[in-house]
Amino acid sequence: MVSLLLVVVILTIVTNLISTVGAPAINNLLWNLYTRLIPSPVMPKAKALRSEVLQLRKELAGTSSQDEFAKWAKIRRTLDKKVVELEAVNATLQTSRASFESRAGMFRWVITVGIRMFLQFWFSRHPMFWLPQGWVPSVIEWGLCFPRAPMGSVSINVWSFAVGQVVALVLAAGAWAWQIVGEVRGKMAPMKAQGGKKEL
Amino acid sequence: MSVAQVDADLDPLEPTLQPILEQTSLRWIFVGGKGGVGKTTTSCSLAIQLSKVRESVLLISTDPAHNLSDAFNQKFGKEARKVDGFDNLSAMEIDPSGSIQELLESADGAGAAGNPLGGVMQDIAFSIPGVDEAMSFAEVLKQVKSLSYSVIIFDTAPTGHTLRFLQFPTVLEKALGKISQLSGRFGPMLNGILGAQGAPQMEEMMQKMESMREVIGEVSKQFKDAELTTFVCVCIAEFLSLYETERMIQELNSYHIDTHSIVVNQLLFPTQGSTCDYCNARRKMQKKYLEQIEELYEDFNVVKIPMLTEEVRGGEKLRNFSEMLVKPFEPPAEN
Repeated sequence: MVSLLLVVVILTIVTNLISTVGAPAINNLLWNLYTRLIPSPVMPKAKALRSEVLQLRKELAGTSSQDEFAKWAKIRRTLDKKVVELEAVNATLQTSRASFESRAGMFRWVITVGIRMFLQFWFSRHPMFWLPQGWVPSVIEWGLCFPRAPMGSVSINVWSFAVGQVVALVLAAGAWAWQIVGEVRGKMAPMKAQGGKKEL
Repeated sequence: MSVAQVDADLDPLEPTLQPILEQTSLRWIFVGGKGGVGKTTTSCSLAIQLSKVRESVLLISTDPAHNLSDAFNQKFGKEARKVDGFDNLSAMEIDPSGSIQELLESADGAGAAGNPLGGVMQDIAFSIPGVDEAMSFAEVLKQVKSLSYSVIIFDTAPTGHTLRFLQFPTVLEKALGKISQLSGRFGPMLNGILGAQGAPQMEEMMQKMESMREVIGEVSKQFKDAELTTFVCVCIAEFLSLYETERMIQELNSYHIDTHSIVVNQLLFPTQGSTCDYCNARRKMQKKYLEQIEELYEDFNVVKIPMLTEEVRGGEKLRNFSEMLVKPFEPPAEN
């Protein structure tokens, strides 16, 4: 049962990390990976169109509309056409990205909440570990085995809750320490600079 | 198509409006451009030329600052009236914003008396962008349809967006559909509140709306048919006018309205040995823009009209002027 204990810990850490990093960042990362692995056929087209539009914009800015009206108008026409095309391509990319993101969200839910719920349901009758007899009063024993683990053991639900609290605390402490370090460094930098001046 | 392309490459299209006169399937002709470039003169001249080859011609001005009366030296009103000196040419002047105002007022008169809610749906319906223009066009076309003219020329307002409504017939249709759906759903409830006298009004309004939607759909279908409709752009050889023309042509393309003629008006042709510095300088500038026009619009009939020394007013002068639309003007020899 040690492995189940560890699985719960790892799962909790992963869940917490994901929520700290944030869904958009993870979606972004997954999207980049996905497009790297399975390049979308419109991607290179969009890229080419974008550079073409930029090129045409530059050309348009470099052409005098008063002195070379015909040339200017022709560039303008192609530019307008390309912009419309680019918008269409971008729209298809956007929709494919949106559908990918909804799938990624589903996947995220499954590997965090889904697995946890499944484990809590499946192993609800399994004792995670046994408490030595007589360590705690029976009322608390009853609480620790809540809801369905045998009396005198710790249930998976209680264990997950405890692990969740600890991981959240550790993360918060880490974040706080990080912030303090950053502030101290920020204070140190000007001091160093001043010190350098004095030496000079 | 490819044959036509080759022909166009070999020699430029003829510099007259003759193709429009020859295209007997045309039913609607729009004349448009910036203000002050000679739209009205051009549309009157085109109407005169068309009256020679077609059975009956109607000239309609949708410009609120009506110029037809000035051009022909004859008073025209909301009803089509024969132009003096022509047997098959009629003209009328309508105010596009006036017709919608009237419609609203008549509806208000009927609706406001009995119930305060009657006007709500109407207000919603008229807040759709472009619906006023579409409505006024629909109104005009309904009138015109009952009269049997073989070709109708519109002298459009210089504000340019006369045909804006063609861009979103789908939006319009959707919005109107939504409104009729809404009122279908809440109509019974409203009728319950309003009592017996509200119900017929509601129904009447819905019917009006429905028929309007049909007319608008029909109009946009006709206007987008290159066999039936064409747009004549009028401009002068100056930067801003050219710029506006290019924008207008692109806009018309986006609405799928056919346009293949440009009338370049008010060109100066100083005679040989002319000492008018002003004219010569201006001629030089116009020449530059003319070259640009020819390069840019090689698939258009570009008609060049000289600047005249007199105002073009009255049937006789217009008749003479109109000859230049079909016979290319021969410029005098230059320095």
